[in-house]
Amino acid sequence: MNLEEFIRQNRSGFEGEGPGPDVWARLEKQLPKPKKEKGRVVQMMAKHWWKAAILVALLVNAGLLLKYMNTKQEVAVVIPEIQEMESYYSARIEQKMDELKQLPAATAGLDSLTLKELELRNDTYKMLEKELAANPGNERIRAAMIRYYQMKLELLDRILDEHNKYSNDSPSTQKDVL
Amino acid sequence: MNLYPDNLENLPVTDQIVARCRMGDARAFHDLYHAYSKAMYNICLRMTGHSADAEDVLQEAFVQIFKNLDKLATDSSLTAWVKRIVVNHCLSYLRKKKVYFEEVEDQEWKSEDGVDEKEHMLTVATVKEAIGQLPAGYRTVLNLYIFEDYSHREIAGLLNISESTVKTQYMRAKERVRQIVHLKSKRI
Repeated sequence: MNLEEFIRQNRSGFEGEGPGPDVWARLEKQLPKPKKEKGRVVQMMAKHWWKAAILVALLVNAGLLLKYMNTKQEVAVVIPEIQEMESYYSARIEQKMDELKQLPAATAGLDSLTLKELELRNDTYKMLEKELAANPGNERIRAAMIRYYQMKLELLDRILDEHNKYSNDSPSTQKDVL
Repeated sequence: MNLYPDNLENLPVTDQIVARCRMGDARAFHDLYHAYSKAMYNICLRMTGHSADAEDVLQEAFVQIFKNLDKLATDSSLTAWVKRIVVNHCLSYLRKKKVYFEEVEDQEWKSEDGVDEKEHMLTVATVKEAIGQLPAGYRTVLNLYIFEDYSHREIAGLLNISESTVKTQYMRAKERVRQIVHLKSKRI
């Protein structure tokens, strides 16, 4: 039997193992970014817009609350059972925050400033609390606090949702508490 | 004998994986790499003869494959294109190692002509070892022809030498393998 025939007949015997896992590990760090400038910007926005939006929304909301409280107008809508709602929201927010804190920092991609703004008892909260203590029974301040809770809760839900959407590579162990 | 991923030759799949890579989908790059890494690493290993160098060459080749995927024409074979890039990286590795593909003088071998083929006990291990002992230039020609299925003309193009040089080198490479196998079997 000549050499060519022998090799062709035993071709699979000449194949060895594949490369070690290091090759992919190194390659992974060099993966090309999407080429088109526009495509990249759009993709970046799709992936990260909400992180910027959280900070803006929370800061704007805090500003609006201040303005709202300083107006002399009566509140049109009186929210019933404020006390219960307050404890309900704060419990939910604490729960969501715990969930968020369990995510690896890099995956969640939130900076410390945003996280601080999301904390339940941050400066805005303390400010509202102080106002409430000074004016016990003031429905407007209570309503403002509830609104602040609602907004925060919505944003937390959104962050966790978005995170789950973009992390489908590794099945999320997060359970939706809703 | 199926060394290459047939499913990637199937157009819709190929199109899909290439399209996903072009969009920068990390998962698609991962899938593409894993579909080809074993067969391509084996090419690198045969061509370089060293596992660490083979991994380096494979990595460099895949960086280029990923970068140039959008230059791949839709009607061309993904496998042939991937393989060509890998082979070219192997060849530039060999050139860096100062391997020359031009005609070389090899008087010492000619005296050993006339080995009786029937006496050869060809085994995968002995053939592998014998190929491994070939001078790099001969080994390259033999690998490209027998293992990678390139024609003499294609090899001439890849190595930038004449087709007749390729043929001569191939014949000598084969002859040398026979001799090594023969010597080995006599020793046993």
